Amino acid sequence: MNNKVLIVEDDVVFCKILTKFLTKNNYEVLDAQNGKDAIELMEMNKFAFAILDYRLPDMNGIEILEKLKTKNEEAKTILITRYGDQDVASKAIDKGADAFISKPINPDELLSVIKGL
Amino acid sequence: MKLSISKNVHLVEPGDFEPTDHWYPRVLNSNIHPLVAYFLNLSHEQIAERYHRLHPQSDLETLMEILRYQPQYFRWAGTDLMHVTNHEGNRKLTVIETNSCPSGQKSMPLLDLNVEQGGYKRLIEQTFKPMVNAHQMEGALAVIYDKNPMENIGYAATVADVFGENVYLAKFDKADIDPPVKFEDGVMFIKNEKEEWVQIRASFRYVTQEPWTRLPEKTKTLILNPIEACLAGGRNKEIASAAYDVFNEKYKDKGIGIFTPKTFRKVKYAELQGHFDRLGGSMVIKVPDSNAGQGVYTVISQSELDHAMSEIDPNDEYLIQELIHSNFSRNLDPTSAWYHVGTIPDSKGRSFAFDLRLMMHATEEGIRPLAVYSRRSRFPLNQELPEDMNSWEVYGTNLSIKGEDGWTYADERLMLFDIRNFGQLGLGIDELIKGFVQSTMAVYAIDQNAIKSYGNSAIKDYINH
Repeated sequence: MNNKVLIVEDDVVFCKILTKFLTKNNYEVLDAQNGKDAIELMEMNKFAFAILDYRLPDMNGIEILEKLKTKNEEAKTILITRYGDQDVASKAIDKGADAFISKPINPDELLSVIKGL
Repeated sequence: MKLSISKNVHLVEPGDFEPTDHWYPRVLNSNIHPLVAYFLNLSHEQIAERYHRLHPQSDLETLMEILRYQPQYFRWAGTDLMHVTNHEGNRKLTVIETNSCPSGQKSMPLLDLNVEQGGYKRLIEQTFKPMVNAHQMEGALAVIYDKNPMENIGYAATVADVFGENVYLAKFDKADIDPPVKFEDGVMFIKNEKEEWVQIRASFRYVTQEPWTRLPEKTKTLILNPIEACLAGGRNKEIASAAYDVFNEKYKDKGIGIFTPKTFRKVKYAELQGHFDRLGGSMVIKVPDSNAGQGVYTVISQSELDHAMSEIDPNDEYLIQELIHSNFSRNLDPTSAWYHVGTIPDSKGRSFAFDLRLMMHATEEGIRPLAVYSRRSRFPLNQELPEDMNSWEVYGTNLSIKGEDGWTYADERLMLFDIRNFGQLGLGIDELIKGFVQSTMAVYAIDQNAIKSYGNSAIKDYINH
């Protein structure tokens, strides 16, 4: 079973904490801090899930979502939006995101979302 | 824990401390060396008495006064020392620098296996908490940082546990054009999940990259350490050196002094060549406010001097120190040269230069040692340096490596003070005592300089009680 997760988030601490948490829950995690690195990882890996921050230094999470869907159609995607950012959330769902989750992120809640997909 | 409540801010909750996240993996499985544990439990009276026996000219009462000192600004510090010897075999611990945001917890084996938060808890409980409790102000608690997430998440989790409340963990980066931390009239604010500014009553601070660009003086929010500790020498080698000189002058009649390599301050770019020649063709050039091994150049040849001069700013002034030598240094004045003692030779006969990082904190009883570890150089002291190799490989001990995607470290050169590594350093309890007393004197000197420059701190009344 593919349990590989991609986290795309430019906050290094966020990546570290979430990586540890998901690893403990038996996921294999790769992370990228920008869109360019995320696309490189997509070229080389098949992910079961991708957790994408909307605001990144070089592109937004929806742009990465679109790239991911062309390379890895089966990957489930979760977009992380700012607190109360409903517009981005709706747009993400329109573009094929499987779920969105607003900041702040509680790792346990995120795990429930992943398991529910 | 609530991740990313706003950009670069996390909310750490009581119960979030996970030991595996706040120590290097090899430290988690290490056991502290019994001699180091014994040292960490010595009383001030034992330390002073022993130091006095090792240095009979030192005044015991003055030693006690310094060990019991209550810093007003510089209440958490880390000193880098080197174990050196001279041509007569007179061994010393020499102070290389003193740091106001020292790393070290993640490299320190547990002193007490029953206290899983180890040194994190001792620092927060014995230093930060009493200060916060005495500070009358409304607001939340925070940890602000720009490096070292492993330790800073640990500190935030410990603060949350010790105070029983949520803690804002905020990255306060030099390059961030929209940082989540701001100051207004000396009060710190951090952005919350609604992008609103939350007032902070007290903050633990690990902001290391030119912190004076972001942190004001005389803050109303209590900060450990405040910026004054950096400005008075905790993050400036030039000012620290001057503070040590003041200390040495003040206490020369008491038989004590801070021992450093011979130092020249405010050296202009054009004067570097002259110093190099006068020191016999070797020296260390330091950018005064550099840290993590960046901006420090060991120079043992004209080509290394030329290279260093091509990298540094011709308009700046530098701190020059005499190099601590290896077995292969030439043209030395034997009466003034100091040499690395080095590690005990390994099975291949190699002995490496190493430093000793000693983290200290101010407690109710005075300054206490908190964590200690060593870092060794890459290339041994007792082999000829290959022509294509830089002398930093022999003399540089810093583990930090600045990569494209942030800071990493050279694990293979980290020497823990555990059962496995400590014996390789050739240090005994007397060296640890000497190093601690030297470090305490350095903290005292810098704190006194802060008081002289910025007046008494707001916590003066608290520490006098």
